[in-house]
Amino acid sequence: MTNILETRGVTKQFGGLTAVNDVNFNVRQGSITSLIGPNGAGKTTFFNMITGLYVPTAGSIVFSGRSLVGLKPHDVTAAGIGRTFQNIRLFANMTAVENVMVGMHTRMRAGVLGILANVVGVRREEADSRQKAHELLDYVGLDASRADDVSKNLPYGDQRRLEIARALATDPQLLLLDEPTAGMNPQETAELTQLIRRIRDERGITILLIEHDMKLVMDISEAITVLDRGTKIAEGLPSDIRSNEQVIEAYLGRGAAAMAQKQTQQGGA
Amino acid sequence: MNTRIRSSLIGGLFGFAIALISGGFAGILAGLVAGLINGFSVPQAEPLNNRAGAVRQGLVASLIASVLTILGIVIRSVLIDPVIGTPLNITSLLISIIGALILGIPVCVIMCVIRTEPPARERIGLAIVIGIVLVTYPWLDQFLNLRFMNEVIPVLVFILMALGLNIVVGYAGLLDLGYAAFFAIGAYAAGMVSSPHFGISWSFWLAIWVAAAVAALFGLILGSPTLPLRGDYLAIVTLGFGEIVPIAIKNLDKVTINIWNYPLLVDFDFTGGTKGINPINRPWLPVIGEFSPSTPIPWYFLILGIMLISIFFISRLRNSRLGRAWTALREDELAAGAMGINTVNVKLLAFAIGATVSGLAGAFYGSYISAIFPESFRFDVSVMLLCMVILGGLGNMSGVILGGIIIQFADRLFLPQFSTVVQKLIVASGNESLREVNFASDFRLLLFGLTLVLMMILRPQGLVPSGRAARVMPPVKVEVPHD
Repeated sequence: MTNILETRGVTKQFGGLTAVNDVNFNVRQGSITSLIGPNGAGKTTFFNMITGLYVPTAGSIVFSGRSLVGLKPHDVTAAGIGRTFQNIRLFANMTAVENVMVGMHTRMRAGVLGILANVVGVRREEADSRQKAHELLDYVGLDASRADDVSKNLPYGDQRRLEIARALATDPQLLLLDEPTAGMNPQETAELTQLIRRIRDERGITILLIEHDMKLVMDISEAITVLDRGTKIAEGLPSDIRSNEQVIEAYLGRGAAAMAQKQTQQGGA
Repeated sequence: MNTRIRSSLIGGLFGFAIALISGGFAGILAGLVAGLINGFSVPQAEPLNNRAGAVRQGLVASLIASVLTILGIVIRSVLIDPVIGTPLNITSLLISIIGALILGIPVCVIMCVIRTEPPARERIGLAIVIGIVLVTYPWLDQFLNLRFMNEVIPVLVFILMALGLNIVVGYAGLLDLGYAAFFAIGAYAAGMVSSPHFGISWSFWLAIWVAAAVAALFGLILGSPTLPLRGDYLAIVTLGFGEIVPIAIKNLDKVTINIWNYPLLVDFDFTGGTKGINPINRPWLPVIGEFSPSTPIPWYFLILGIMLISIFFISRLRNSRLGRAWTALREDELAAGAMGINTVNVKLLAFAIGATVSGLAGAFYGSYISAIFPESFRFDVSVMLLCMVILGGLGNMSGVILGGIIIQFADRLFLPQFSTVVQKLIVASGNESLREVNFASDFRLLLFGLTLVLMMILRPQGLVPSGRAARVMPPVKVEVPHD
């Protein structure tokens, strides 16, 4: 299987602080890959470098054979990477449908003159995109009656779904989800897990996930990479990560791995 | 308070004030406007499904409004006019009263009927009523001998500009404090190609396109350095542009350019300096001939036409891919970029299109007064436009038009006439010490400031808030955590 995303030696420094340090990282085409790590490990910084919000201090980022370093966020989106944000960043005063239609911006062609003349092509594109937006809202499970609600009035869980619909509207090959289940209850989390799987299975979109919910991560991921203080400390299958000493220590502190092991042995005896 | 009573009081007080200040015949017009206001707001506040109820409410509301308007007419004609030197004329008093009644009440009832129609038909109906009022207005003005026309035309010019500013501030959320600069650039561009200044004497119909194009170009030029800036910083830079442009225009009357000792230009008069440019060509049309300064009706329809066409095209932009991109940019620039919007292009387009509208207004204005001076485009023009946009409702065209009407009429008609009446009353009372007070000019800016402050406190979203409620300055929410 080929890698859809490859980073080599990616480093980001803010002044004297090294937020991400020399990270080599691959995402296989068609996989669900997770990026985990304790708070402040540099996960979101890493996301922001992929999506063009930050320029890496060093290293290369290659997406489908094309370098992303130095591209603006909108170029990255056009290249085929969609994203959601850790703290929901919807367009608060636009309706749900309008939010999704904004996501289609790069896939639409209407120019100023075409809009002013209201040519047939523009009218058709507008109608098609509205139709597609409704379909996407339906796909992520947002109730049709909510489609014309202003997004800030939607319940929290729906806002998270809407953000995913908006990211899907950019027609991505790779979808970056930054803590999509933050603040959700177990049932909502389970529904969202389903949705993420469906997006991969039905639409063939590769998923890269930042998540703190370990149950979700272990459940859904096919590959996991662990960052701690900006450095990659482990990568592999969920089962490998679960028993990796360095990972346990990163989360629970020095000596925790030994203790955990002891407990397991005692439990087994 | 019941919405019907509240709206009738607003309409009525409006009519009362106009009648009191501008005289009895203006009361007829005031009655008409009060009827329109009631017709809008009575069914708006309480969506009424039964037409009979709506009409009944409208009747009551317009009766209250008419009574107040008539009270204004009577006080003016009986108490004030004789004191300031116009004897009481019973016939014209009666005409005013009857006129206010027969225009105000039926208009309100018709509006109530239209507003209970299904939305598509309602829109057409409203367009027809407003169309009739706009088209017949010049003759009503002439018939009643009001002579408001010379003020109505600049009012429309300013509303047109406010609509352009609304694209930049209301839609895209870029606080532009130097918008009047584009008005100046448009006016000068048109003036230079259609006056004896350079010996290029093109027709107005050509010059207006030149103005639009040059203004758009300057929108791009002045917009590009502001691209990385947001909020306060953007406001400061645009404020600078607003100051630079009139000063540059004032000083570009003796331009000397030497290239390696080769004099390319020597004392070249580029803008006419403080003397400005005049005379500027007036439009010419078959049948009407050349528009003349003494007959305002063709001018009125010209600016009205430019305005309607602009509104038509702006609303197309608004409901398009580009309009959504502007709103997204205003709501969250970072997320807009991440959703694939090229924020640089979209911002520049907002500046350019906003400037184009202002350029059209400038070309018209220059031709209308047949001369332009750097002094006409100072900072207070930008501030006034911003007041109009914020008062009416950021990001909503009907709101901006309403805000424009209120502020412009207050500034151009209401305050000066109020001032004249007060002055005459003072003279009549023989009090010499107050003679020098001129309400119109002395209190004008104070009133603008007061309006802005009050609006920000009481109704930051404007009189008619946008559907996608726009906020450059979001209200502070105080939330008490419940732990």
